[in-house]
Amino acid sequence: MIRHHPSAETLLAHAAGTLPAGQALVVAAHVQGCGACRAELARLEALGGAVLDELAPEPLAAEAFAAVLDRLDAPAPKPPAPPRQADLGLPAGLRLPAALHGAEIGRWLWVGPGIRYSRVRLPWAPNENVMLLRVGGSRRVIPHSHGGAEFTQVLHGGFTDSTGHYGPGDMAEADHDLAHQPAADPEGCICLAALEGGLRLPWRGWRTTRRHG
Amino acid sequence: MLIRRVATARDRQAFAALFKYFAPRVKAYLRRAGLEPGEAEEVAQEVLLSLWRKAESFDPARAAPATWVFAIARNARIDRARRNHGLPGAPEPEEAEDELAPSAETLTLTAEREARVRGALGQLAPEQQKIVKLSFFSDTPHAAIASELNLPLGTVKSRIRLALAKLRAALEEVR
Ligand SMILES: [Zn+2]
Repeated sequence: MIRHHPSAETLLAHAAGTLPAGQALVVAAHVQGCGACRAELARLEALGGAVLDELAPEPLAAEAFAAVLDRLDAPAPKPPAPPRQADLGLPAGLRLPAALHGAEIGRWLWVGPGIRYSRVRLPWAPNENVMLLRVGGSRRVIPHSHGGAEFTQVLHGGFTDSTGHYGPGDMAEADHDLAHQPAADPEGCICLAALEGGLRLPWRGWRTTRRHG
Repeated sequence: MLIRRVATARDRQAFAALFKYFAPRVKAYLRRAGLEPGEAEEVAQEVLLSLWRKAESFDPARAAPATWVFAIARNARIDRARRNHGLPGAPEPEEAEDELAPSAETLTLTAEREARVRGALGQLAPEQQKIVKLSFFSDTPHAAIASELNLPLGTVKSRIRLALAKLRAALEEVR
């Protein structure tokens, strides 16, 4: 059961195509697995269609239609080669979201005890700071805050922070002013995260502690 | 159904009608989104070319024609901005049905949804309509809304939220 969804204005920005590429990827991963958000996104895109319909038309150049007709029979551009994706040894039954199909995925790297991350590189937006994070059972990430917004989609397991518990399919949208200390569920947590603010490595120096109890 | 005729019969007359209706609207959308006239012209042509190539993937059960064209135009706008920075476009969103959760709305007919959404948009106060429309145009929608409506940037987010809540309420009403 999905309890945490992207905010209304985030879904609107996704429908409008104005989210940064990393955040758009996380939202797309959420929406693919969330029927409620798919329905909402369909409505917002219909709104985009209505807005397009109502725009005052701007005529194209006189030769535009002929130019397009000339190109109709040209072969469509070839799709890009499939990206390199490391074998992450994911838990049985866990598939990465379809939204990641075009992304390069690095192998797990050690960040601190119980925490590993894998860099997700988007060929179309290589400076976006996107990663898969894997946090061991009951590990707690040392408190941190964000330079910008942090979008996190839970793929497996879950975590808890001051805003609540997040399970598989849930998406967390943390503002830059939220200082939080997520703690993984006993079974651990694998999530997809996008951090705003270029290629800074805010997780450097993160340490984890065992949760008491 | 013009798009179907393009998909199944490669019907150029149907395509001409689609071009006549959509190309100038797509160009207007791209201009509002900040593209220069020459670039908007080029991208609008590319969008109509995509419509020809992708016509087969158009599913009238999922979106109205304008909604489908809007999505193509939106993606083309984003891809053009990337190409201007020497980057490739993003791959087509994959819609493998087995990887998708069923939409919570599968029983609503597309036409009904579109009519509802339009009705709801029409019921919003003029300022809220403007906020919603501006949200679709700009790459920096918050800044654009702030300057066009003379609002502090910090207020914009809450106004968008309010407009969306109103829209949702109107959607419930027209049900
Ligand atoms: Zn959702």
